[in-house]
Amino acid sequence: MPFIEIKGVSYVYPLREGVSLKAVKNLTLSIEAGEFVALTGMNGSGKSTLAKLLNGLFKPTEGEILIDGISTADEERIFDIRRRVGMVFQNPDNQTVATLIEDDVAFGPENLGLPRDEIIKRVDFALQAVGMSEYRKRDAAKLSGGQKQRVAIAGVLAMRPDVLILDEATSMLDPAGREEVMGVVRKLVDQGITVINITHNMEEAALAKRVVVLRKGRLAIDGTPSQVFSSSLLESCGLTLPPAAALAKELKDSGIDIGTVTTEESFAEGICKLLK
Amino acid sequence: MQAVEIKNLSFVYSKGTPNEKLALDNIDLSIEEGSFVALIGATGSGKSTLIQHLNGLIKPQDKKHSSVIVGGKNAADKKTLKTLRFEVGMVFQYPEYQLFADTVEKDVAFGPKNMKLPADEVSRRVKRALETVGLDYNEFAERSPFDLSGGEKRRVAIAGVIAMEPKILVLDEPVAGLDPAGRAELLALIKKLQKEVSPTVILVSHNMDDVAALADRVVALKDGRIVADGAPRDVFSHRAFIMHIGLDLPTAARLVDKLEKKGITLSKRIITMAELKDALLSIFKKRAKKRGNNMGYAQINAVTDGNKNADENVEECDGASPVDEKAKGDESSPVSDEKAEGDGAKDENDSGSAGGGEDV
Repeated sequence: MPFIEIKGVSYVYPLREGVSLKAVKNLTLSIEAGEFVALTGMNGSGKSTLAKLLNGLFKPTEGEILIDGISTADEERIFDIRRRVGMVFQNPDNQTVATLIEDDVAFGPENLGLPRDEIIKRVDFALQAVGMSEYRKRDAAKLSGGQKQRVAIAGVLAMRPDVLILDEATSMLDPAGREEVMGVVRKLVDQGITVINITHNMEEAALAKRVVVLRKGRLAIDGTPSQVFSSSLLESCGLTLPPAAALAKELKDSGIDIGTVTTEESFAEGICKLLK
Repeated sequence: MQAVEIKNLSFVYSKGTPNEKLALDNIDLSIEEGSFVALIGATGSGKSTLIQHLNGLIKPQDKKHSSVIVGGKNAADKKTLKTLRFEVGMVFQYPEYQLFADTVEKDVAFGPKNMKLPADEVSRRVKRALETVGLDYNEFAERSPFDLSGGEKRRVAIAGVIAMEPKILVLDEPVAGLDPAGRAELLALIKKLQKEVSPTVILVSHNMDDVAALADRVVALKDGRIVADGAPRDVFSHRAFIMHIGLDLPTAARLVDKLEKKGITLSKRIITMAELKDALLSIFKKRAKKRGNNMGYAQINAVTDGNKNADENVEECDGASPVDEKAKGDESSPVSDEKAEGDGAKDENDSGSAGGGEDV
């Protein structure tokens, strides 16, 4: 059985009297444990709504979402769901609750009522996993954006989650910060955590093993980065190829076919092969 | 005429405390009217502090030695401060967070009203501003800005700034957080704003592709100092230096370096994807011709659109060369660089030099 099962899910936002917005429409999708999935689509396509549905912040208006067999609508298990599915949001400045970094990371485990030893163990583990151990006694407000997001990830890891959801967690960072965070994410994927990265940066999406594209609340494309990048539907989803992939496509139109390119490295290799 | 003239500008945050930080260190910067300047540098390099001096949000700390003259006005002068703020339009990061009125019309009208313009002029400007940013006046004027999509909100916020018809437009990371379609639209809009509303544009950006595509001058800051200043093509061509100051390259330049590692040498002055495409097409064209000639070895002069040539070399591809990225800079291909440099490559569409040859 897949770890995450989304079965015929719709979600409707009540806007005001008599007006509502259907943000997710009859979505069916499953994700196996350990997958690294990029969830993408233009603004308003339903990505963030789906993320909030996955950890029970929102309950499906129709359909059902199962996390390891537990329904997100099951009120009695909601804290279990939230522990298992951790989220990191967009704004690095809105996600710290404590002054000291180690206190911030300890916040979750403390709320679980864990014994002190266990909390310390988890904080050590989490800070090490994101490469922030040496900063543990520092002031969280003085960190760079990338460091703040790594601390936010550590806060989630301290809960020993099964799934990490990043909701545009890099979109407010500079390129160096983005790289820092994605470096940590790749490491976590290698360690077996299921990661869902919500992004409209297509270069970042290409780092995942699977890319799921939403369009107006519906599933539009689902496949490997190279399948998604070669899909004719991409444009209608309001997405553009990363620059190297776009150039490969233009070259193809000019009669030079280097295959589907997902990364800059594969672009260089493709050119090279043809010139050999 | 100079739109901006900054002399000896330094700025220290939290002066006299243990957290004291030198944000700007003796900056001299003149910006010619009508230019499109990209301000780049890592987070914390002083970009935001610098632009906040332009409309007096931050005043020079050392009034004796520093001066900030914008549009002929001293930014430290209280008497002209209000006028200055109308002349320098600031679009901060995530400007949609600053929307406040209950209709789009009122929000965009806020600036021109503060300028004490007559009512019909205010309404003319609101209409023009909304139309310039691509929002239909009749459709949007009465709507609440808070019910709009993210991209629309941002355009309303920008309309609020350009409704003051500022001579200088300063944009801090204007496309951050937008989806690809929204980004492309907004970048095109900025170019249009320069033509139609604000002749001088200062863009703060981390995206070197945008910088390469839009700016005619790039100013790089590091630790509060100006460390590079020139045409994007010149600045980005100094690879070793760019790496040293911790800046990124445009995608096209990065691809040129990746190809070089594999033995395909292209000009280091290529900064846009269009230029890279031309350069590659020209290599493939040469290759096809050569195949036809059945030559075993050739050093070929490439001619791109008849305006440029350079000796370029394609070595064996699979010999994944073990060149250390850090160890190489401009010096690794001085020939192609110098050749291209002679042409000045001022034209945006002007492709860098390219060509091909091979050892078989």
